[in-house]
Amino acid sequence: MKKYSIYLLFMGVFFMQCSKKTTDGMVDKGTEMVKEVASETSWRSGVPSPGEARAIQLGEANSFDLSNGLKVIVVENHKIPRVSYQLSLNNDQILEKDQVGFVSVAGSLMGTGTTTKSKADIDAAVDFIGARLSTQGSGVFASGLKKHSQKLLEVMTDVLYNPSFPEEEFKKIKTQTISGLSQTASNADAMAGNVAGVLNYGVNHPYGEIQTEDDVNNMTIENIKKYYNTYFKPNNAYLIIVGDVTPAEAKADAEKYFASWKSGKIPATNYSAPAEVKGSNVAFANKDGAVQSVIRITYPVNLKPGADDQIKSSVMNSILGGGVFSGRLMQNLREDKAYTYGSRSSLSANSLVGNFNAGASVRNAVTDSSVYEILYEMERLRTEPVSAEDIQLVKNSMAGGFARSLESPQTIARFARNIYKFNLPADYYETYLQKLDAVSIADIQAMAMKYIRPENANIVVAGSKDEVAANLIKFDADGVIDFYDAFGKKLEAQETAMPEGVDAKAIVSDYIDAIGGMAKVKAVKTMVSKYKADIMGQAAGMETGQKDNKMFYMEMSMGGNIMQEQRFDGVQAKVGGMGQSQTITEGPEIDAMKEQANAFGQLLYLAGDSPYTIDLKGIEDVKGSKAYKVQVTKASGDKLYEFYDVKNNLLIKTMLTQDVPGGEPQSITTEIADYKEVSGIMVPHKVTILGAMPFPLVMNAESITLNGTIPAAKFKTN
Amino acid sequence: MKKTFLLMFFAVVSLALNAQMNKIDFQEYTLDNGLHVILHQDKSTPIVAVSIMYHVGSKNEKPDRTGFAHFFEHLLFEGSENIDRGEYTTYVENAGGTLNANTSFDRTYYYEILPSNQLELGLWLESERLLHAKVEDKGVETQREVVKEERRLRIDNQPYGSILQESMARAFTKHPYNWPIIGSMEHLNAAEEKDYKQFYNDFYTPNNAILSIAGDIDYDQAKVWIEKYFGSIPVKNPNVYRPSIKEPALGGEVRDTIYDNIQLPAVVMTYRIPAQGTPDYYAVAMLGTLLSNGQSSRLYKALVDEEQKAVQVGNFPLGLEDPGAAITYGIANMGVDILDVEKSIDAQIEMVQNELISDVEFQKLKNQTENDFISSNSRIAGIAESLANYKMYFGDTNLINNELDRYLAVTKEDIQRVAKEYYNTNNRVVLHYLPKPVNP
Repeated sequence: MKKYSIYLLFMGVFFMQCSKKTTDGMVDKGTEMVKEVASETSWRSGVPSPGEARAIQLGEANSFDLSNGLKVIVVENHKIPRVSYQLSLNNDQILEKDQVGFVSVAGSLMGTGTTTKSKADIDAAVDFIGARLSTQGSGVFASGLKKHSQKLLEVMTDVLYNPSFPEEEFKKIKTQTISGLSQTASNADAMAGNVAGVLNYGVNHPYGEIQTEDDVNNMTIENIKKYYNTYFKPNNAYLIIVGDVTPAEAKADAEKYFASWKSGKIPATNYSAPAEVKGSNVAFANKDGAVQSVIRITYPVNLKPGADDQIKSSVMNSILGGGVFSGRLMQNLREDKAYTYGSRSSLSANSLVGNFNAGASVRNAVTDSSVYEILYEMERLRTEPVSAEDIQLVKNSMAGGFARSLESPQTIARFARNIYKFNLPADYYETYLQKLDAVSIADIQAMAMKYIRPENANIVVAGSKDEVAANLIKFDADGVIDFYDAFGKKLEAQETAMPEGVDAKAIVSDYIDAIGGMAKVKAVKTMVSKYKADIMGQAAGMETGQKDNKMFYMEMSMGGNIMQEQRFDGVQAKVGGMGQSQTITEGPEIDAMKEQANAFGQLLYLAGDSPYTIDLKGIEDVKGSKAYKVQVTKASGDKLYEFYDVKNNLLIKTMLTQDVPGGEPQSITTEIADYKEVSGIMVPHKVTILGAMPFPLVMNAESITLNGTIPAAKFKTN
Repeated sequence: MKKTFLLMFFAVVSLALNAQMNKIDFQEYTLDNGLHVILHQDKSTPIVAVSIMYHVGSKNEKPDRTGFAHFFEHLLFEGSENIDRGEYTTYVENAGGTLNANTSFDRTYYYEILPSNQLELGLWLESERLLHAKVEDKGVETQREVVKEERRLRIDNQPYGSILQESMARAFTKHPYNWPIIGSMEHLNAAEEKDYKQFYNDFYTPNNAILSIAGDIDYDQAKVWIEKYFGSIPVKNPNVYRPSIKEPALGGEVRDTIYDNIQLPAVVMTYRIPAQGTPDYYAVAMLGTLLSNGQSSRLYKALVDEEQKAVQVGNFPLGLEDPGAAITYGIANMGVDILDVEKSIDAQIEMVQNELISDVEFQKLKNQTENDFISSNSRIAGIAESLANYKMYFGDTNLINNELDRYLAVTKEDIQRVAKEYYNTNNRVVLHYLPKPVNP
């Protein structure tokens, strides 16, 4: 579900975090806030030296196995009378194939009903004791005050053992998931992430599977139950108990609530390692109207948790752009060049396959320069030894971070789990600081040579194709940019050679011919279109009418009531609904109404005194078909893109980008399909609107009538 | 079925609420220059949180220099007589520490979390910031741009990001809670050197600050160092400006519509409520818990789960030093008229006004409140901040141990009473957030 974190939003505004800043060495006179006598305070100019450091003590974790194979890890900490229970399955990642994301849906659904409790019962039980309970595809988490822990464990294990997977809740979660996905096309970060996933791992790897609306529609409750029955087993799982509990109490609870959980055979899955990236590969995901580009320079790496290289390579990455504000990417791209608010890198170890990622969000004009600077810093780390100061700052900072993390007993539990899960030496964390301290300048260069590959990387950019893409060709090894859709699906070559003599006017003329010819289209005096749509499970109706290319109306209804109306009599408009309509006499709304009063607005593009300018922008892939992309510029300067199928000349998509003051421009995409003949003219019978609402609005025509009579009341504005 | 289940439940866990939290010990005293010091020792991890809370927030600003308190927070990382531009961060990172700061309507808060053997470094850094900060032109220009980015990031470019600003602007007409913390970019552009000096001298004075330290410290050693670094800092301004503006009653419902770059409409209702720390404030806070804490809460259960009119609902009091506001909101589900959402929220509030809540539900509120209070002080950084908060706003540092009693003193009748007194239509601003009109 698309969560609007509105509470956090308030907190965010409430507490304006300062961003950490560092120097770039520039000095000017400066404003001395206070005049004072220097001699009295000269002792102040010296930096205090640290006292003797106290040894870092790792807390203790107890662990034991239940007879069903469940491994229990207990960290005792009596600071606060609370206890948390994290149950985690340690199963292999599975391929979700045509139902990508179903494991996550299965997890959400587990918390919405058991054989004896409804969702409301579960919520009431958890809230009554002031506790928290959440379910995921790979486990269950619960926490609450110690005095309520028995009650909490009862609810937690009921959800774990007896989920009922209610059909009603399943439908709700599916709808929410689809709502979330529809936002992807306007989210450049998500687009870049999807493309990076596909390129780094391939679509047949669990990390390369990208969820689309089709996947959600394909999900079945049977598959979800099958997943639960197959994979929710104790014999490859951890129960981590942390807080105000003694090992004896924890053991008794574990036996009481988890010993009866039946073990079973869990399928194992192996995946071959993704291929290394050879040569640099620029991949572009287009977001029309974007004002920033999201850059990700990324590739898979073979780096397992606990590998000998892990600590050394982590120090190396921190110098480049991890953790500290003093990282080179931040210093170069932000502090020196001001291309971005922040630039960072990460090098992640993972037992299946790790990855490297360096990136930033930058304004359009400096996209190629930013790619250049990131690659430059990557290369510099390979060729130049780092300074003693650089390495020391990062080591100090990482040692401090390690010490701070030990304040939380959850950290101790995580260490204990990692030792089992990744088969690390028992003293791996006890000797962490020694290993960190031993990292040398030579190690950094060796790690950079091994893991930093500026010449063999996927250079993924999501942003405005028209403004940015062409400048990136120079970074691609074979000189061809590959284009992807928002979900990481590769589009056919975009730069198809344009046939000779084709221009925008010819394309629009061909379209008019294709739908019936100029004479027939011009003879249309009235048009009434009635559509049906399904909005979150409710039937909705949409009716529009045009008369003489001057008058227009639109009615949106649900359950027989008109929820929204727009009426335009050629002069003024009435807009609103539910008894709250208002009359408008001028402004952009009136201009929009005038446009909509044209049953076939394309006729205007061809008129001698056309208020529109049209330009052919190329050929693009639209849902598997090649289409001419025509840019329509209105008198107001607003731009609209229309896509005409190369094969049959029909209009199959439009895209409108609107400026939003103070924000990124917003795009509304309309997909047009299912052309059928009505009174000699081809008219689309399926229209899908994307971007106007949190989910696609699919409208199917019930009836379309040309040259019928429209009651005058439909256009009445007062 | 549901009812029996709840009742059985009640029988099991309805024990007396003996708040069995572990007591937080602390020492506190005031230096001759007025700097208040709070120390809390916890040797379990060798780290220390060093913080200073200044009693200056956006409400202390001049109406033609809004945003100054927060802008100042950024500028005070720029350096001092003895710390060059940017060195603040490198000193802390080199010492293995981390640092940050934030600004609210009422105060500005700076902190470092350091290895405990670097306590003296933290004290030096904070004393430099208080004694003689220095800002170069380059720093002013850079931070001005950074703050503008911050505004775009958090407000302008964020769906629903302007809710707090738009609500407070209408709920308050005289009191400085009227303007946003991030302030006006025009005011920041207009600021001159004399403005900085004035603001620094007016508010960055030891008698307007609380130094709060928590972690692995030796009390005696800490006191010696505190005297060394802070004892000689002069009082710059003995009479710190505190707005005494009394906001008149709203005197009738205020309604407005805001068009935003959003997908789903929202209704935002802002009710004027008493200042934090007053008995009625605690009752309003409990009312907020009743309405929106957890999925069994009144608003969530009715609007999201049962009626499915909203995708999200919430209520929370802002908790301000002067009489403030509580915000209730609902984001409409697709196809639901926003007025319908508003009616459903109103119906839930009317239910609280008309019917006393049940013992079971009241017990739930107490349990949730207890859990949240006890869980709030798990880290030393949070403890340092809480101690300073309690001293600054309530004058009673020990509330860190017993503020829960104030919540638990609220009765069912109090909750009903404050629902009637403050959650009435004459005392609220209602905003409808609607998607910007889109040409089909």
